[in-house]
Amino acid sequence: MSPANTILILADDDPDDRLLTREAFEEAGYQGTFQFVEDGRQLLEYLDHSRKSLPGIILLDLNMPRMSGYEALSELKADQALRRIPIIVLTTSSADEDVLRSYDLGVNSFITKPASFQELTEVAKRVIDYWLETVKLPPQH
Amino acid sequence: MASASPPGSLTDHDEVFRLVFEAAPNGIVVIDAQGTIVLVNRQAEKMFGYERQEFIGLRIEDLVPKRLRQAHVQHRKGFSENPSQRVMGMGRDLHARRRDGSEFPVEIGLTPVKFPSGMLVVSSIVDTTERTRTENELRRYAAELERSNADLRNFAHVASHDLREPLRKITAFGERLRKHCAGSLDERGCDYLQRMTDASHRMQGLIEDLLAFSRVSMHRLPVQDVDLDKVLDTVLEDLEIRIGETGAVIERATPLPTLQADRSQMGQLFQNLVSNALKFHQPGQPPRLIVSAACPSPRRVRLEFQDHGIGFEPQYAERIFGIFQRLHGRQEYEGTGVGLAICRKIAELHHGSITALGKPGTGATFVLELPLHQPTPPAS
Ligand SMILES: Nc1ncnc2c1ncn2[C@@H]1O[C@H](COP(=O)(O)OP(=O)(O)O)[C@@H](O)[C@H]1O
Ligand SMILES: [Mg+2]
Repeated sequence: MSPANTILILADDDPDDRLLTREAFEEAGYQGTFQFVEDGRQLLEYLDHSRKSLPGIILLDLNMPRMSGYEALSELKADQALRRIPIIVLTTSSADEDVLRSYDLGVNSFITKPASFQELTEVAKRVIDYWLETVKLPPQH
Repeated sequence: MASASPPGSLTDHDEVFRLVFEAAPNGIVVIDAQGTIVLVNRQAEKMFGYERQEFIGLRIEDLVPKRLRQAHVQHRKGFSENPSQRVMGMGRDLHARRRDGSEFPVEIGLTPVKFPSGMLVVSSIVDTTERTRTENELRRYAAELERSNADLRNFAHVASHDLREPLRKITAFGERLRKHCAGSLDERGCDYLQRMTDASHRMQGLIEDLLAFSRVSMHRLPVQDVDLDKVLDTVLEDLEIRIGETGAVIERATPLPTLQADRSQMGQLFQNLVSNALKFHQPGQPPRLIVSAACPSPRRVRLEFQDHGIGFEPQYAERIFGIFQRLHGRQEYEGTGVGLAICRKIAELHHGSITALGKPGTGATFVLELPLHQPTPPAS
């Protein structure tokens, strides 16, 4: 699949992290489009409006105001069309309970935000390499 | 007793009894069936602030706070219908009233005594002000302790999440700055940036270590039999590279015992002591560490970690166990000063102790004393 027409959603309430994550992905060679949302509610609203062109992958923060990543996950996984989109949790937490709960809710990967930008770029490289260049994603209608 | 010859005449006996009665540490107040005070001792006078002449003839209810008098009359009726020796007001907070109207907490024992002329009730009164105060203080102290433990738990969470967050950004944007703006920064600007980045890395280390310390403090010990020789094996394996690089000689003078402990905390403790010995060696000389064990008593073990490193002035032997306490600049020896604080916490959690002996230029010895068995924790 060509990364150029990929849509990557980044759901994170923290503007610094949105900036850093975007730059890390760009630096790692990501060519597709970014879509930013700031909480779970915005994420669901966005997905609802773009049923015709669903994103290739969602990077999801857990701790967000209004609607947390968990709540968004439960709703997302209950929706026939949305449940197939791969979701990578990208959070500050490394607590076992968050890891377990996330996988229970059906996420595909759990990544703790690394301490340095260099490492974040490495993470972005691996995400691109695996999720956008190796695996076959569900077809985007 | 009847066969023993009496120490004196009957009047002597009366005098002895009177003296004992007067000298009793409890206040004693004797009332008749109507509740009128017929006899008091000196301690009762002191307690209630009445002179003897005014005391005799008062009603017992005069010694009860006004709001409780009604109820007291009822209680007294109940008692005289069914007299028995007992403690008054079990489970209630009893208060008595002084002549000046002030109140104090009391404990009262009641003893009915039958006379041909009627029944007397002897009340023995203890002023519990002091004890109540101590108990209240203890309760307050326990509550405070619980609160400060909760604070600590809370702090650990804050430190782990909220403090690390902005720091992560400082580090990350520092990297971005170096990557993108290094060209527009002069040498001095680059130096500032480097110092800033170093400082934020250091702070990251401090936070991690502080967190490790508070995790140890909050720990409930799951004890098991731990072979300390195996613990030391593992620690030395983990430090293999550093040992190789520094050419350290580690002498295991005696076998180490097996004792009840938290295995991972014992590992942490040994790891801190051994890495200190590896770090604080004499410049130009490879580190040397001797580990030994002795049993000063059948229930305790004493471990010694003796090195031949730079040592320290003996007056700092206690201070180095404080959190963030270091005797050397970080240019000379890196570290955060949390290691020994963690060691002490672990020793204390195991009902043991750790102390240090040192001499500058000669070396340091860390002495760890631990019980072989841990008390079984109360089932909660
Ligand atoms: N083996 C040792 N020899 C000499 N000084 C020591 C030794 N171990 C500890 N110290 C002193 O105690 C201080 C506190 O030690 P520690 O709490 O382990 O912190 P750190 O190793 O991070 O400096 C050290 O900085 C050092 O000054
Ligand atoms: Mg240390």
